[in-house]
Amino acid sequence: MSRFQPPYPGYDVLAKWDTPSWNDPTRRVVAERLTRVPERRFFDPHEWATLHAVCDRLIPQPDRLEPVPIAPFIDDKLHRHQSDGWREESMPRMEDAWRRFLKGIDEAAQARYGRPFVDLGPEWRDLVLRAVQKREAEGGAWGDMDQKTFFEKSLLREAAGIYYAHPAAWSEIGFGGPASPRGYVRLVADRRDPWEAPLEREDEA
Amino acid sequence: MPEPSRRSLLSPALWGGAAAAAGLALGALWMARRPPRRAREGMAPAARTAHGAAMERHLARRLDEAGTMLSLSVLADSAMEHYRGRFHDPFMYAAPAAAALSLARGGPGSGRRTAHGAAALTGAVGTGFHVYNVVARRESGLTWNSLFYGAPLGAPAALVLAGMAGLAAAQLRVEAREGEPASIAGAPAAPLVALGTALGLLGTTAEVALLHFRGAFQDPWMYVPVTLPPTAALALALTVLRPTPATIAAARRLLQATTAMGLAGAGFHAYGIHRNMGGWANWSQMLLQGPPLPAPPSFTGVALAGLGALDLMESER
Amino acid sequence: MSAEDTPRAVHGRAPDVFRRGGWVPMRCFDDEEEVDFAIVGTGAGGGTLAARLAEAGFSVVAFDVGAFYRPLEDFASDEREQSKLYWRDERVSGGEHPISLGSNNSGQSVGGSTVHFQMVTLRFRPEWFKARTKLGYGRDWPVGWREMWGYYAKAEAAMAISGPISYPWGPPRGRYPYRAHEVNAAGQVLVRGARAMGVAWAPTPLATISAPRGLAHPCVYRGFCKSGCSTNAKQSVLVTYIPRALKAGAEVRDLAMVGQIETDDAGRATGVVYYRDGRWRRQRARNVVAAGYSIETPRLLLNSATARFPDGLANSSGTVGTHLMVHSNHAVWGEMDEEIRWYKGPPSMAVCEHWNYEDQKDFHGGYAFMSQGPLPVDYAQSFVSNTGVWGMELRRRMANYNRMAGLKIVGETMPQEKNGVTLAEERDRFGLPVARVTFGYCDNDRRLYEHSLRFMRRMLKAAGAGDLFETESTAHLMGGCPMGFKPDDSVTDADGRTWDIDNLWICDGSLFPTAGGVNPSLTIVAMAERIADRIVALAGRGELERRGRRLGALAG
Repeated sequence: MSRFQPPYPGYDVLAKWDTPSWNDPTRRVVAERLTRVPERRFFDPHEWATLHAVCDRLIPQPDRLEPVPIAPFIDDKLHRHQSDGWREESMPRMEDAWRRFLKGIDEAAQARYGRPFVDLGPEWRDLVLRAVQKREAEGGAWGDMDQKTFFEKSLLREAAGIYYAHPAAWSEIGFGGPASPRGYVRLVADRRDPWEAPLEREDEA
Repeated sequence: MPEPSRRSLLSPALWGGAAAAAGLALGALWMARRPPRRAREGMAPAARTAHGAAMERHLARRLDEAGTMLSLSVLADSAMEHYRGRFHDPFMYAAPAAAALSLARGGPGSGRRTAHGAAALTGAVGTGFHVYNVVARRESGLTWNSLFYGAPLGAPAALVLAGMAGLAAAQLRVEAREGEPASIAGAPAAPLVALGTALGLLGTTAEVALLHFRGAFQDPWMYVPVTLPPTAALALALTVLRPTPATIAAARRLLQATTAMGLAGAGFHAYGIHRNMGGWANWSQMLLQGPPLPAPPSFTGVALAGLGALDLMESER
Repeated sequence: MSAEDTPRAVHGRAPDVFRRGGWVPMRCFDDEEEVDFAIVGTGAGGGTLAARLAEAGFSVVAFDVGAFYRPLEDFASDEREQSKLYWRDERVSGGEHPISLGSNNSGQSVGGSTVHFQMVTLRFRPEWFKARTKLGYGRDWPVGWREMWGYYAKAEAAMAISGPISYPWGPPRGRYPYRAHEVNAAGQVLVRGARAMGVAWAPTPLATISAPRGLAHPCVYRGFCKSGCSTNAKQSVLVTYIPRALKAGAEVRDLAMVGQIETDDAGRATGVVYYRDGRWRRQRARNVVAAGYSIETPRLLLNSATARFPDGLANSSGTVGTHLMVHSNHAVWGEMDEEIRWYKGPPSMAVCEHWNYEDQKDFHGGYAFMSQGPLPVDYAQSFVSNTGVWGMELRRRMANYNRMAGLKIVGETMPQEKNGVTLAEERDRFGLPVARVTFGYCDNDRRLYEHSLRFMRRMLKAAGAGDLFETESTAHLMGGCPMGFKPDDSVTDADGRTWDIDNLWICDGSLFPTAGGVNPSLTIVAMAERIADRIVALAGRGELERRGRRLGALAG
């Protein structure tokens, strides 16, 4: 796997913090996200460590000195019982589903490699996660919970939602970020406002 | 907390705004100036000739002013709009450059006819570019939306008008002869400038009508620049056919109103920017997205030329 | 105090949606005062009706479980934060194809889903009002298209729709109040594809203004439409009909959950029981209108069951909570050579309704499709849950964000009795049984979206996109309490008046007998405009308290 080259290396959405692209409500929300990473309140220490290990494989961030925190926001959501507004009938309740998953991958890791998930190397961790995605993970914790559904519709969805809500990720993909009161003027392809990420072609030049 | 960053406040958009403001101030100064005393019955023949020459110079000055006003408007407007288009085509520098050149050479002096001619030519070529952009280059082909949001078809014509006004002024001075009626390229100056002004007003109105239609005429005042200038244009055309004191007086009042409207229009557009999200605090977006600040004074420019023609017409009666 | 914690519309005033920290006066009614109309829900149906009825001189109290926001100060430019606009109270989703709920189909704030809708305001194709007779599927609407055409125009005027000068499909419509917006790069991809495929396209008629309107600012193309418009350009019910309702003397009660519609021994509605500010209360009313949309309206009717109405209110036909429809929301995505940067501008600025008006195809119904512009969280979540991609590959694929373009359908699904809403065992934070939603596609639905995927693939390729992939989801809700011609197979008559209870009405998307292949909000608003006119007319004839001759109502 070749190394990942973010397309907009010089762009930082936070540089717009004090410009008309950001307003107070947005600054409040994003400041909270950046400075007040939730502490562990829902999971036990082992689950917490396992979830960190999982998120580290779902969205690896070897390029960052300070990786975007993902697991703490999952813990926070579960602690606050913050529902998405629905759950699939065939799935257990949210809190239960996450616990089953974390127990399940430990059981699968034990079955395959004789040790808990957190003690596996990256390749083995990936193999366990791929097994879950293919509904092939061992263990009794899963019960009747569909492994693939949980993996893609809950776990992966949640992790991606948290990562791409972080300014570091916005900068990484060249997203304009918050935009109120100032929005955008130039809507044409390959055209940008001065307050957007430079075009990839400009960077090359 | 992330480190706050402060963007430089100096950007072409700001310069555009400054140019517009300068244009406004200059326009207001012109407005305060009075034309020469009108010719009166019973004046000695020699005095009448001298007065006629004065009127010729007055018309030339008015045309220069018209050209300057138009050039200022085009300079600011095209600089802002082409900056919005990020000067993706090097030719986009031509419009503000030609307007600036025309401005710099606006007064008496050598090379001014070349500068004005270049401006007029740039305007004509620009119109071609804009038509090409709207008709051929847009993904959607010729639709209402390409007319609304593509390169404005009528805008470069203002540069043509600016150049023509400058050229006319220069020509007027060249052809000035004691005791003979003022002429431009051999044609009688007053009716020629009057008709040119009428055409200019109608063309500018067409452009405004399109853009105010795009703005859904959301403010009733937006109807003024699509009704007053064409009325003034018709009145002006009428003076060419029947130059009576009544028609001239009517045309003068309508043109004066148009002159004032052009300046007031900039004020309305400033208010329009205020009504947009973030108002003036969000100038870096709204100078480009809000109503164009430097556009309305082009009406003032065109109308000034017409006023000069009326003055001459009156003195020649 | 945040808008979500403490009711704002109290003590004779309500938030002024146009001014930071501002208030407007609001008439307040006592719980014991019998008002003319108690309306449950303040979205496209309820908010519209509240304004129209108050303007007609009725006393009106409108309830909404959501918060009363001032967009300018309460809406952040942040997807996660703004999920506060979605219905996030628990629901259970089952059936063969359990649908996701919340962000894509139900809102929870004063103004309802229109606060986060994507502003696509399309009219129904006229034939859809006679789908059964003219096109051979679904059910006929008890309302004719010509009448609806007039109400569409009214709704468009009220929401100052920005639309094209000429619309390529359907019978002529009047000039839209505001001009269409500039079509962004994402929309131009659709335009290019449509021209290559030889089908028509149009700038999407959108409920966001392209020029100032009163105190509302024109759109600044910030692209957070689905997260609530902090510009106030979006002409949601929150900034259009709700201010009108307040001005005309209606009371709007925010953070007020209606748990039950009460009925007396004679079987007539007497008012609603609602929870607000920490306690349950009772509002007396001469008429009750359920306007909670396709899940909450049936849920409320079912939760209001009594000994006299053991199967729930207005349910003698057994059709309450049946015939629920969604729009299939299948999409094709691809990578372009240019930087599209679809985050700029409203998400769907160009539309193609070709397959709504073309009948040579192997399925019933139709679909519209539009250009797309999801923000990062929305896009990432849709991407991973459809493709299952994770790891470094996920970051690499997401790094193409600025080059992506997509086409997504609003695809009609057939009304099926088995798709619907029932009550689950679980209870919500108010102690009320939650809704259990059941949904499954039928063969026709599948043929429709498969057709659309084939077509959009070809079109996106023709527009120059590579590395195509597909996603599926659903959007919108329609039906659940269908209106109809007869009491034995529908819940209400053409006026939204329930067959069983003369003073109980329904005014929202749950009335739809068929789904149509366009976003439903404009039709809901137009229906509400019509229902308001009908109520005024019935009141004028003295038929509000008691239905007139049943046959007369039928003929109408």
